[in-house]
Amino acid sequence: MENRRITDHPILDFSEGEVIPFTFDGKPMEGRSGDTIASALHANGVKVLGYHFKTKRPRGFYCAIGNCSSCLMVVNGQSNVRTCTEPLLPGMKVETQIDRGVPDDV
Amino acid sequence: MLEKTGIATREQIEKLLPSPGRRAEGPYAVMECFQKIPCNPCSTSCAFHAILPMDDINDIPSVTPDKCTGCGACAAVCPGLAIFIIDESKGGGTGTVTLPYEFRPLPGIGETVKAVNRAGEVVGDAVVTRVLPGKKTKTPLVTIEVPLSLVHEVRFIRCEAHQEEDPSVADTLREIPAPPQTADIGEQDDEVVICRCEGVTLREIRDLIREGYTTVDEIKRISRAGMGPCQARTCGPLIAAEIARMTGEPLGSVAPSAHRAPVKPLPIEFFLGGDTE
Repeated sequence: MENRRITDHPILDFSEGEVIPFTFDGKPMEGRSGDTIASALHANGVKVLGYHFKTKRPRGFYCAIGNCSSCLMVVNGQSNVRTCTEPLLPGMKVETQIDRGVPDDV
Repeated sequence: MLEKTGIATREQIEKLLPSPGRRAEGPYAVMECFQKIPCNPCSTSCAFHAILPMDDINDIPSVTPDKCTGCGACAAVCPGLAIFIIDESKGGGTGTVTLPYEFRPLPGIGETVKAVNRAGEVVGDAVVTRVLPGKKTKTPLVTIEVPLSLVHEVRFIRCEAHQEEDPSVADTLREIPAPPQTADIGEQDDEVVICRCEGVTLREIRDLIREGYTTVDEIKRISRAGMGPCQARTCGPLIAAEIARMTGEPLGSVAPSAHRAPVKPLPIEFFLGGDTE
């Protein structure tokens, strides 16, 4: 697989990290320790994280700090998870969100 | 000028320069730091006490040129990359500029690069005479030789040889459209989406302002702009700016929309007493 991660950065060091397996819309993917859900998806070439509920325009990374809610996805069945700040955990089931989201079992 | 474009004027730069006598003696630091921000690494980095300690962390740095040796320690620690070391004492019609260069790959010594001014325009060629890779602070310092007339103009370099080596980078750079000359919302297109969460365009906001809704709260309640998951973090200031522009009121007098807790969206189970994280 093509490596989309920064390996040579003038200021920051990025360690390789442990492999964290997860799935995106059913497809198995691999992230690294330290990834957020969205950063792992980007490293796997996934740029569209969801679609706007009204206009159906694609949504991706925007603020990347948990403010703008452009990156909301369905994670382990829970809607509206801000994937840009949510740490990636092994076995996470990540899905594209296309509407306002549905309540999970409370 | 500086507030709008980020580019310092000739007069602002000249105020920073030491006396002609000191400039002829050897290298000196120029701190192109014009706005008060809470930042002080330069004042604690100088081994020669040439930068006065700051009483208030918001102070603008003050250099004593007679103590400055032009060593470059401050240039390497400035997070704003605002400090340059200028040497006009070499003679031969050229001088050197030492600048922080946080890019890869680093240029090689002896390489000819494009000399770029504060506005990002190429103003001539420069020869790289020294490269400090920046072991301690990680910010590499690159020294270039330019005609003496350009030492107060040139503030960056462009290494075109490296761009040509990587065609994908060169292609990407060509595809990037020129940045707009103004960030003024008045010149933005009607179809620009202002509220990304609720999909509200600038046209809808402008129509409402024309109808007489001139507070952010009114526009929020009618259009839903600002009521999505981000809670007006992105669109709130933009709507206020458009109200100010269209009504002629100063921006400071346009009240922001009401904000209530919680400041971030929370799952409903949080309120039911389940998850207290």
